This record gives sequence, structure tokens and C-alpha cells, in this order.
Amino acid sequence: MSEQGRLSLELDGEGASGRAVDLRARGADPERVAAAVRAESADGDDGGGGCHGPAVDCRSPRAVHDHVGFVRLGMGVRVRTALAAAARSRGGEAPQDETLADVREALSSLTVPAPPDLDAPRERLAGTDDAVDRIRERVAALRGRVQAGREAGRDVSDLAAELTEATRELSERETERAAAREAVERAERLARESRDARERRRRLEDRRANLERRARAHLVDRIREEYERALAGVPGGPDAADDPFAVEGVTAALAVGRVAEFRAPVVVACDRFTSVEAAAEWLDAPVIRV
Amino acid sequence: MAIQSPVVLLVVTYSTAARGTLRNVCRTHEEVVVRRFGRVALLAETEFAAFQALRLRAKHGGDVQVERTRPFNEYEAVDASVREAAAAYEDRDRPALPYATFADGSEHPDPERMRDTEL
Repeated sequence: MSEQGRLSLELDGEGASGRAVDLRARGADPERVAAAVRAESADGDDGGGGCHGPAVDCRSPRAVHDHVGFVRLGMGVRVRTALAAAARSRGGEAPQDETLADVREALSSLTVPAPPDLDAPRERLAGTDDAVDRIRERVAALRGRVQAGREAGRDVSDLAAELTEATRELSERETERAAAREAVERAERLARESRDARERRRRLEDRRANLERRARAHLVDRIREEYERALAGVPGGPDAADDPFAVEGVTAALAVGRVAEFRAPVVVACDRFTSVEAAAEWLDAPVIRV
Repeated sequence: MAIQSPVVLLVVTYSTAARGTLRNVCRTHEEVVVRRFGRVALLAETEFAAFQALRLRAKHGGDVQVERTRPFNEYEAVDASVREAAAAYEDRDRPALPYATFADGSEHPDPERMRDTEL
């Protein structure tokens, strides 16, 4: 931390610069200062609307800044994730990185076809089934009556005509049902293809999560001792921590921050240090005290 | 639990989110769950189970597959030759013997023919 050891910022039209800047007397909103540090460009899109929010001229923060770059009371820190990011900030790598990149690439190039509309063909098929059943019963009944009529020697010509008509309708309904079945089968085939792609995606996502966990464990392992040493020395921290990964947010952030390498200033909104300079020294980074 | 219908609903999920909802449904409504295997569950054949399955599908769309399964009765589904071949093959003397070789020249059905025969 040498060339970017200083920061310069602007608040309400007034500038301030240095390695450690104290904005407490200026009533700056901590959230807005932190947002200004994380903003893409401090001087790029400041012109619109006469906004007098803080503008911080600094390089874009590394991922670790999201975890411990804004230290305030009540903050929550996922210590393992933050530590992995801290390790990355120092150029740390994990054996899983290459595979992880491949899996991410495969995931981003995977296309999952939208599922077909199964509702309409299913509904249509369900209707035709009923229709076929009804007309088939009717045909059977008519056939029985025609037969009985003939055996009894009655004139069955009307019934026979009705039977012919019903039989014709049955065949029509059966054709409709066959078409509806085919439509459902077609849609189900498309649904299967869509699910195959979803299954591939799910496997890749599981794989990515697994690799990320292992990479994180590797990175945490490498930096853990250093973190624990930092933890023991955090100003205002507990004398001893049973579980170094389950400590209160500000303490965790300051310990992780000490082992991390920051590219952008850390925004500090807590009373752990005697001076802003002391905070900058502890974190070995430019600090904005709010 | 109500008397189990032989038919069950098979619910398969295809995303982490859908799997999570399925797990929650299964935890909340144990009575509809016949069996759960990770991201797959067999649900009872009741309207309420169907309602839960449809709810999952409404929420996660194509990431949820709902099917109906029924028990497999080998005495209905296949010829005696298939049942006998399965038993005989599992009782073979040489563990490394592939089925095709085992069936060749015997009375057991040819694997290719079985592949082409639907149940």
C-alpha cells in the first residue's frame, strides 16, 4: 500500500485528502460515504441534479471490501467467505480455480429451452377421453337395443340409423383423441428435452457450489492462523474467542480487514481506535472515519 | 396415515430453489409424503398431494416434473421367459459373464429383442 496509500474525497463541495480522513465533524452519512467508495466512478456521473453527496476518488474496491470495507456497529460478517475474499485480495489462489472457471463457463453457455405448453394439450386430451367413453357406451347400448329388437321381430330401422350415426361419431371422437394424444406426446417430448437441460444445469450448479466450498476452505485454511493472530489483537475485541469464526461483526471485520489487502479506502464507523491514523495503521489501508 | 393407494405421484425437481420448496412441502405435510429422495418425492394419491404438486409447479414451472406411477407387476408386465432369465442370470456361475453371452444359444431372451419390446 504505497501509491494508493492516500485518498481524496469531496463532500458538500469541500475536499479532503490523506491516508486517514475524519468526516465526523462534517456530519457525513456513513451509508452514503460507503456507497461513494463502491460507486463505479466518483467523477463520472456526478454532474446531474446538483447532488452534493460525497464523492471519493479511489480505485474500485476488491470483493473483500463488500464484506469488511464498511465497519459499523451491528454488522454481520460471514467470516469464512470474508476470509476467502481476503486471501483473494492478496492474490491467493485455490487448486479448484481452473475447474471452477470451466464450470462457470459451461453454465453460462448452457441454454435451457423453455418448457412447452403442456396444459392445453392435456386439457384437450382429458376432454376427448370423456367424449369417447360416453359415445362408446351409447354405441353399446344401441347395439343391444337393435339386437333385442331384431330378436323380438320389431322394426329397428330408426334404431339402426341411430346406431350408424353413433358409430360414425365414435370413430370421429377416437380420431380426435388420437390427435390429442399425439399433441400431448409431442409436448412431453419437448418437456423431456427441457428437463434434460435443466438437469445438466442443476448438476453444474451443484458442482460449482461444491468447488466454491472447497476453494473457500482451501483459502481460509491458508490465512486462518494469521486471522486468529489478528483477532487476538483487535482493539476492543474479546480476550479469547472459543470459535474464531463466530465472533461479533465489528471484531471479525477488523481482524479480516487486517489480513486483507485493500485497494479502496475502508469506511470505519466504530469507536475501536484512538485515532483515524491508528485505524489506517491497523488495517494498513486508507481509512475514512465517519 | 390413510390406506396407501397403489398409485403415487412422482415429483422431480430440477433446480436448487425447486428442491428447497419440495423439501419444505415435505416437512410441512408429512402425511402426503410416501417417500422422499433428495430432490425427488413420491406423494400420496390424494387431491391434497396433487394440490401440493401443482403448487410447486406453479411456483417453479419447468423445474418441476409431476408424474403418476403405478406398481410394477412382473406377472402382468412381462413373459415368464423374462422373469426366468433374470433369476437364472443372477444365479450364474461366472460373475463376469455378460448377459448377451449368457443368453446366446440358450432359451433365454435376446437382449436386443427385449430392448425393442415395450411393456
